[in-house]
Amino acid sequence: MTEQTKKYKVVFMPDGIETIVAEGTNLLDAAIAAEVHINAGCGGTGACGTCSVLIKTGLVDSPKTTSISNSDYQNGLRQACKSRVMSDVVVEIPASSRLETAVLKKEIQNSHNDDLLCSGWHFSPPIEKRLLEISPPSLQDNTNDMARLLRHMDDSQTHPEIKADLHFAKKLAATARHDNWRVTATLLKFDEHTRIINIESGDMRTTNYALVFDIGTTAVRGQLLDLSQGQAIAQATEYNKQISFGADVIARITQCGRPGGLEKLQKAVVDTLNTLIEQMLASSKVARSGINHIVVTANTVMVHLLLALDPQFLRTSPYVPTLSSTPLVKAYTLGIEVEEHVRLYCVPSVASYIGGDIVSGIVGSGIHQRQPLTLYIDIGTNGEIVFGNSEWLMTAAASAGPTFEGGGIQCGMLATNGAIEDIHLENDKTEPVLKVIGGDPPLGICGSGIINLAASLLKHGLITQAGRFNMENGHHRLRIGENGAEYVLAFDAQSGNGKDIVFSEIDMLNLIRSKAALYAGYHTLVSSVDKKMTDIEQVVISGTFGNHLNIENAIAIGLLPDLPRHKFSFIGNGALLGARLIAFSNDVRNQSSIVASMMTSLELSENADFMSSYTAAMFLPHTEAALFPSVKIGNLP
Amino acid sequence: MNDNAVFELPKQSYNGQIRAVTLGSEGKAVTVGGESCYPFHCFEGALPHAPRIAMEVYDTPPTDWPDAALAPFSDVLSDPLAWARKCITNYGAEMICLQLAGTDLNGADASAEQAAGIVKNVACGIDVPLIVWGTANHEKDTEVLRLVCQTCQDRKLIVGPVEEGDYKKIAAAAISYGHTIVASSSIDINLAKQLNILLSNLGVPDNQLVLDPTVSGIGYGIEYCYSVIERIRMAALTQQDEKLSCPIILNIAREAWKSKEAGPSDDIKLGEATKRGILLEAMAAWVLLMAGGDVAIMRHPNAVSLVRDMIGEMS
Repeated sequence: MTEQTKKYKVVFMPDGIETIVAEGTNLLDAAIAAEVHINAGCGGTGACGTCSVLIKTGLVDSPKTTSISNSDYQNGLRQACKSRVMSDVVVEIPASSRLETAVLKKEIQNSHNDDLLCSGWHFSPPIEKRLLEISPPSLQDNTNDMARLLRHMDDSQTHPEIKADLHFAKKLAATARHDNWRVTATLLKFDEHTRIINIESGDMRTTNYALVFDIGTTAVRGQLLDLSQGQAIAQATEYNKQISFGADVIARITQCGRPGGLEKLQKAVVDTLNTLIEQMLASSKVARSGINHIVVTANTVMVHLLLALDPQFLRTSPYVPTLSSTPLVKAYTLGIEVEEHVRLYCVPSVASYIGGDIVSGIVGSGIHQRQPLTLYIDIGTNGEIVFGNSEWLMTAAASAGPTFEGGGIQCGMLATNGAIEDIHLENDKTEPVLKVIGGDPPLGICGSGIINLAASLLKHGLITQAGRFNMENGHHRLRIGENGAEYVLAFDAQSGNGKDIVFSEIDMLNLIRSKAALYAGYHTLVSSVDKKMTDIEQVVISGTFGNHLNIENAIAIGLLPDLPRHKFSFIGNGALLGARLIAFSNDVRNQSSIVASMMTSLELSENADFMSSYTAAMFLPHTEAALFPSVKIGNLP
Repeated sequence: MNDNAVFELPKQSYNGQIRAVTLGSEGKAVTVGGESCYPFHCFEGALPHAPRIAMEVYDTPPTDWPDAALAPFSDVLSDPLAWARKCITNYGAEMICLQLAGTDLNGADASAEQAAGIVKNVACGIDVPLIVWGTANHEKDTEVLRLVCQTCQDRKLIVGPVEEGDYKKIAAAAISYGHTIVASSSIDINLAKQLNILLSNLGVPDNQLVLDPTVSGIGYGIEYCYSVIERIRMAALTQQDEKLSCPIILNIAREAWKSKEAGPSDDIKLGEATKRGILLEAMAAWVLLMAGGDVAIMRHPNAVSLVRDMIGEMS
């Protein structure tokens, strides 16, 4: 031994976390030891390339791998799991290697929002609570209560002009005197303006909550955010009660043409919101009075219906919405059961079929901030797609139908407790192994389960590439049921509701139509800017599946393009992610307006290539086998 | 003339070729396909096998044909074998297509056994290739065509239509007895290709497969059929699409003759009743051969003669 093992300092950016390691330490191990998350899809074997990091300064011993292009390697990109620390180094973890951890924290653990996708913003929620200790009135200073309040605010803060809502005036006198003029003011900061919207006695600064809702055509998802902590503390999902008026937006619009139709639909969605609020307040033990703000992200039709705006003109050429950005609305005026001071903000939309949900998805995932050509796919009923980068964004809606949210499927359900979210088949003779959300006996199957089931059945030759069941296989779970051929996922004795849980050939054909619409949608969108699928540098997938989407299976059935796997990131519910960030930061809210104005919408219903592309995609995985080189279909029995 | 300028015909370059498929048994077997250029573009590539015509024969006497169509066969309408022989001997048919209209559930609903008996009788009585065409009812065709395949296992038939809804059982039977399959899909290049992939997954050899893209008569959407056939040929010849590189068969006679324009009418603007159907049939067949057909199933001897002459002049 000539010298002791050398020690080096490793700094992980953007969080600036430092750690000291011995010379030659594996970079991924160093990150894990420092509790810095880097994606490593393959577990650090070097196979997947998801752990790519940028070496800003310093030396690492790291070979060029197939996952890293020559130019990226020259620019300092390395696979963390293949790198050994040889000096002090500063390592930048790119968004693509951080994406899933952020999602995990946001969507699943509802943890702190310290690791976000959209960057360059500060925690600056539109609602701020401020403790005021105001000198009480006296005979010498007999200014009225409201003026006293405003004067105090002016004295202590820099805001030049603060306005006040009048509705709390009736409780102002009593509230102010209850704790001898020690009060908490609730401030709404919006577009350079600040307004006092509520007043409470004593120090109530930690009681500051906001609601965010993703109002989908099929399902409505809500989260309750603690603005004092910057985190989500409860979430809930319900089917949109408008479903009883039709499964898709066209049916809903048609309904509005009938007398009282719009009112009924408006009430249905508000009822859904109130149910979700009830659930989230109960599970979090938060008082209703603690809610100070609401952010809604939704497709354009849903926004119209929520605000009771006539949607008729959305469905006829030239497809023009009444408005794309809405002013703040007092939520109680819509029937939402919150206090009078609570404002509701709708994320701006782009066009009739490109809504605020897609804008918030883009904002949340930060695609508009990055250079790589990114395809954003929202795997939901309306199947919105975005293609572009920081310079331009193209978008379209592919109308995939409710399949991926469990709608229109005999035993389909949302990704909630009791839903089969994964299924494993060893071969064409074995029993399926089911993974059920919550771990109880299954009640139905959700989107991720449907995708995994179809891929497994195809792989083992239990369905044809056209989606028909191979009854000739003779598997005892294949049978002719009420709706024709079906596969039994769980027999009555194993299910949670005493009924057989089945997936029928009709369900399978619905799935094929849905995935074909999405594929044809993004294929057409990418072609429209003269690009090929292989030009896509990143694919960001948004969807409300269970805890994960199996990318491999989604490719096997032709839902996602057959691209190198390291290009894919799944961000869970992108719309809700964006809405949450908007509730946390006015910076992000400002970005959402910019993103909405950046997007160019392509109308697929007017596009001749789309239909042909759609028929071509109505096959598993696709009629053009060359588009799915990694998917092998063997000869079937 | 001292002018040196020579007109150079612009030429399409091809990288694909249509598979040559041999129909029928040895002796009078007929090979179709094999071309490496667009229809009749002999100046650009090879057309080793000019398009062929198969003449129609029905298992039961037709009840809805115009007189013009019935006239040439009035003596053989109730004897399919005699009808087939007349087509061969008198009209030079190189192939026969036996239409099993009698098995139609909405018609005579003849049993599979009856149908197979008729097919067997015709198949053994002629030496040219025999195409057997069902009613496109999935259950009935499965029953009938499977039995036909089995009964005529010593002959090499061409059996159709085989569709996405019934391909598994019919194709399995056809292949195990060495027959050729007509893969039938409804006027869409993707559907045509999808069915060919499914058949290939099932193990159907490429050289036992011909394609029926579905056709219609003049005035009933023939432009659409033309366009689909043309696109199939473009994919096969210029994009090397193996799954679409099979010969195309056109079941055009019944489409041409069932139109109201081919039928009896007092409207003198429609022209002479005896010629109308013939010309409509000949024109429809010719249009679709120009799009890329390799075999045309035809009815009237005069229409056959017109088209045969055209093929002769063009190839």
